[in-house]
Amino acid sequence: MAAEQNPSNSSNAEQAGAKPPAKDLKKKKDEKKEEDLSDEDLALRQQLELYVERVQDSDPGVQKLALESMRQEIRTSTSSMTSVPKPLKFLRPHYGTLKAYFETMAESDLKKYLADILSVLALTMSAEGERESLKYRLLGSEGDIGSWGHEYVRNLAGEISQEFAKRQYDDMPIDALMELVQQIVAFHMKHNAEPEAVDLLMEVEDLDLLVEHVDKTNYKRTCLYLISSSSFLPSPDDMLALDIAFTIYIKFEDLASGLRIALFLDNLQYVKQVFTSTEDLLLKKQFCYNVARHGLVLELDDEMVADDDDREALQDIVNNVKLSEGYLTLARDIEVMEPKSPEDIYKAHLIDGRGSTSSSLDSARQNLAATFVNAFVNAGFGQDKLMTVLSESSSGSSGSWLFKNKEHGKTSAAASLGMILLWDVDSGLAQIDKYLHSTDNHVAAGALLGVGIVNCGIKNDCDPALALLIDYVHKEDTAIRIGAILGLGIAYAGSHKEEIKVRLTQILGDPKTPPEVLVFSAITLGLVYVGSCNEEIAQTIILAIMERSEAEMAEPLIRLLPVALGLLYLGKQESVEATAEVSKTFNEKIRKHCDVTLLSMAYAGTGNVLKVQKLLGYCAPHLEKGETHQGPAVLGIALVAMAEELGLEMAIRSLEHLLQYGEQNIRRAVPLALGMLCISNPKVNVMDTLSRLSHDADADVSMAAIISLGLIGSGTNNARIAGMLRNLSSYYYKEAGHLFCVRIAQGLVHMERGY
Amino acid sequence: MGQGTPGGLNKHNLPGDRKNDGGDKKEKKFEPSAPPSRVGRKARLPVVTPVTKCKLRLLKLERIKDYLLMEEEFVANQERLKPHEEKSEEDRSKVDDLRGSPMSVGNLEELIDENHAIVSSSVGPEYYVSILSFVDKDQLEPGCAILMHNKVLSVVGLLQDDVDPMVSVMKVEKAPLESYADIGGLDAQIQEIKEAVELPLTHPELYEDIGIKPPKGVILYGEPGTGKTLLAKAVANSTSATFLRVVGSELIQKYLGDGPKLVRELFRVADDLSPSIVFIDEIDAVGTKRYDAHSGGEREIQRTMLELLNQLDGFDSRGDVKVILATNKIESLDPALLRPGRIDRKIEFPLPDIKTRRRIFQIHTSRMTLADDVNLEEFVMTKDEFSGADIKAICTEAGLLALRERRMKVTHTDFKKAKEKVMFKKKEGVPEGLYM
Repeated sequence: MAAEQNPSNSSNAEQAGAKPPAKDLKKKKDEKKEEDLSDEDLALRQQLELYVERVQDSDPGVQKLALESMRQEIRTSTSSMTSVPKPLKFLRPHYGTLKAYFETMAESDLKKYLADILSVLALTMSAEGERESLKYRLLGSEGDIGSWGHEYVRNLAGEISQEFAKRQYDDMPIDALMELVQQIVAFHMKHNAEPEAVDLLMEVEDLDLLVEHVDKTNYKRTCLYLISSSSFLPSPDDMLALDIAFTIYIKFEDLASGLRIALFLDNLQYVKQVFTSTEDLLLKKQFCYNVARHGLVLELDDEMVADDDDREALQDIVNNVKLSEGYLTLARDIEVMEPKSPEDIYKAHLIDGRGSTSSSLDSARQNLAATFVNAFVNAGFGQDKLMTVLSESSSGSSGSWLFKNKEHGKTSAAASLGMILLWDVDSGLAQIDKYLHSTDNHVAAGALLGVGIVNCGIKNDCDPALALLIDYVHKEDTAIRIGAILGLGIAYAGSHKEEIKVRLTQILGDPKTPPEVLVFSAITLGLVYVGSCNEEIAQTIILAIMERSEAEMAEPLIRLLPVALGLLYLGKQESVEATAEVSKTFNEKIRKHCDVTLLSMAYAGTGNVLKVQKLLGYCAPHLEKGETHQGPAVLGIALVAMAEELGLEMAIRSLEHLLQYGEQNIRRAVPLALGMLCISNPKVNVMDTLSRLSHDADADVSMAAIISLGLIGSGTNNARIAGMLRNLSSYYYKEAGHLFCVRIAQGLVHMERGY
Repeated sequence: MGQGTPGGLNKHNLPGDRKNDGGDKKEKKFEPSAPPSRVGRKARLPVVTPVTKCKLRLLKLERIKDYLLMEEEFVANQERLKPHEEKSEEDRSKVDDLRGSPMSVGNLEELIDENHAIVSSSVGPEYYVSILSFVDKDQLEPGCAILMHNKVLSVVGLLQDDVDPMVSVMKVEKAPLESYADIGGLDAQIQEIKEAVELPLTHPELYEDIGIKPPKGVILYGEPGTGKTLLAKAVANSTSATFLRVVGSELIQKYLGDGPKLVRELFRVADDLSPSIVFIDEIDAVGTKRYDAHSGGEREIQRTMLELLNQLDGFDSRGDVKVILATNKIESLDPALLRPGRIDRKIEFPLPDIKTRRRIFQIHTSRMTLADDVNLEEFVMTKDEFSGADIKAICTEAGLLALRERRMKVTHTDFKKAKEKVMFKKKEGVPEGLYM
């Protein structure tokens, strides 16, 4: 405002001071405008008017001087954030004149100068969509873009993106624009405005430019912006954004972050690149842990790790061989080794009154629940108070807990040993071994499953699980067969093991296979070849579905077959379409069910809104009894939407509506969907909804809600959920089914003792 | 909503922020403070994180819109498909029967469990009653206004709009006519108040970019007649935010606990209607320094102030609520009120200097018909201390003098006389102490 301190100014000020009363008499409208101006402003205005006149002078010297001072005036004007800078305001009426004069000017430096100023003026003047600022900028002297201030650059960026779209539509050259883009991006990157730079580059579809402009100080912000944008961008752009982020991370040697993106992209080439770009062994070890956690099957070669010994050590890490060791060390360090019994978890003493006294009910169920809780709580610790302790002290009556259970209970108990000894391949197998040869088929089946659980996620060269289990696959007894098959599935999930495929496709192809075995073989194949889009297996499963009789199709268990098929295409999006097409020819009982399952599994974790819409559409009609596809559709919404936080929260809202309007079959699935959406993520609002549903009149709904409470709190030791479950256990003390669910949920919440 | 004890009222307030997010109020109390989410479903939308106007924000908002469209479609479909239109009509009348008539209005004190609550009516004691099953328990929360059956007092409904009528009066519905242009001078003050109050509401991203929290409020202080209230009016005129105005003395209530309650209610409404600006004029009425109070009235006033302190920077975060306080006795205010974090900006309103005086004269005389001989410079340059209000008084007085003599123009002598009159009244006619 007071930037101008010319001698001429003071005289102006005096003049102005005396003026207003005199002017009152003249023109009313004019005077009103003037009224608002203070003396300095008036002076400034007159000064600027003078400049405008002089610019149109014939003498180039005068012109130049006038332009210079005008430029000076605009640049130095410091304004508050809340209003238009004064010089710009006062020059507004002259915009037209200057523009007209500009057209008549001869080509010269001065003309460029004027173009610069017009470009700035256009910032406030030009009508929406005319992009005059850009036009004059291109005609101007191409000086430092930042000198006109941030707002100008921002405006220019906006106009560029419009112009770009137009030019691309008209097939016009864009070189000049790109040059400007370069300048703007450089400016933004320097001034802490990475999002704007990225936005502009996305608009002009040239994200590659970004790599040149990031530096050490701002690459993190840039990459974070790119990554979080990627989950909302349409299909090819999101991959591109991640690609760029990866390149930037590599450029600045933030390899760990690079690796995360490489794993997310599922791009082995990139993973290799990360490994080859460093020599640091410790760093590489960390990468290996990351890879192992991600569950990627990776063979290290000498390019990635030069030294043989090192490579072996790293490969061990990738293969999770030392997982158990590391886990136990951690447990010792934070002092949670002490095994806990189910009673420690139930904390019955905290429940007042009836809950604690009523243990009379259905002891088999209770024991089964205790088995599960025990397995969850002591998972991986290698010792507990039910299964392992007894077997050590009295080898004669080993596993007396085991024989407190009946039939399937025994299976679970035996398998729970696998859970307790999770990842500890050597001693684990030894301890389970004695049950393998048990005469009781249930125990043997459980042991087989246990073997699979022990080996879960661990790759061992001698493949002990395969060696032990593969022969049992063809045994007579279905229980044993299922145990072995499921064990294989759990042990080799995601490993694409050839032998398993060969054996199990035989079983699938055999029309004499009982339906249970058939289903579990399919599931195992789905697990082992998860996300592989393996045609051969898909064909076999499809054939199995088509060949079975109608009566068999009516069995609820058969519904897992589409799930197995879906697992093959998990997260693979469009690749599922061919199979989905085939599934339309299925028996009508299962057709829709299969369709929904495939759709939701193929798009799991993509956050694809269109698919959510489609699935919601499936939920809309109120069906007659007997159709089963709405439940999977609800679960499918959860699967698809779990990709990012925002979609997750919105999906929770949608589920509320389903709850409100849906029939019983939908309501039953909603709690489970909620549990799946927020697994190990105890959100308060979800907790409240589930807590409400856990008192629902419909038994299935309330049981699902209880289990979901366990799911959302799994492994968190969340005190609120634990309290709710304790209350529920006393509320449902008479209902065995509910109590069982409560127990399981309690086990889930305290899983691995919450660490 | 009678004379509840302060303790009971506290219950009313604390969960007040997190209305409507779930049924089981029993667990509610242990909730970590959630972001203030209120007013039905609308408020339950997730917060979109980058406040800066960037593409990511756009994309996120679009994603939310997509989901909302789906919800709309779904709900519309469901409504259409609803098979039992007639039956619901029947149900409705049944519900009306159950509700009885007339229903009495009460206050929900506490939810005991799914089906029981403690309620109080405006007269008399609190009752333990049952909640009828058709009441939407999602929307029940401690402190809301409810409908009770006239005999058994069970909860049969709830009043949606439970804004205290005392507060709704404070809302400025019709913007005042004074605008920034009507303020002579005070450029620095205008800029400061714009930056501290308006800008955070319109452009929060600027503050986030720099990485600071915007100021929560300002206090305007200065001698009488220097334009504090005028500036607040101008803010109310220009802003599109909700503007709530209170005078400090309004916060002093007859009954014990009503004052603090009003303050709470005021800020709760401000939060509901956010972005909003709360203007408390003459804050010294409640905000004076604390000392050993002897009468219950004084203690009550102090409690009101304490509530105000809590609302300004207490445990619950106020999002888009800005506070403007005005006083002419800043030195007597409690220091806790003025500490940074509560009131970050103190804006002084000095007596006008010569330039400002000229502007003020111009503003006030612009609509007057002046004779040619009027020379305002004489008054502008005078050594007497004028406030803006004095100048206005002079102009009005001069106009009145001219009217008295049935002239059509105001002459210089009128102004002179008017000035003397005003100055006389200011200096001698009124005891000096009153203006200090």
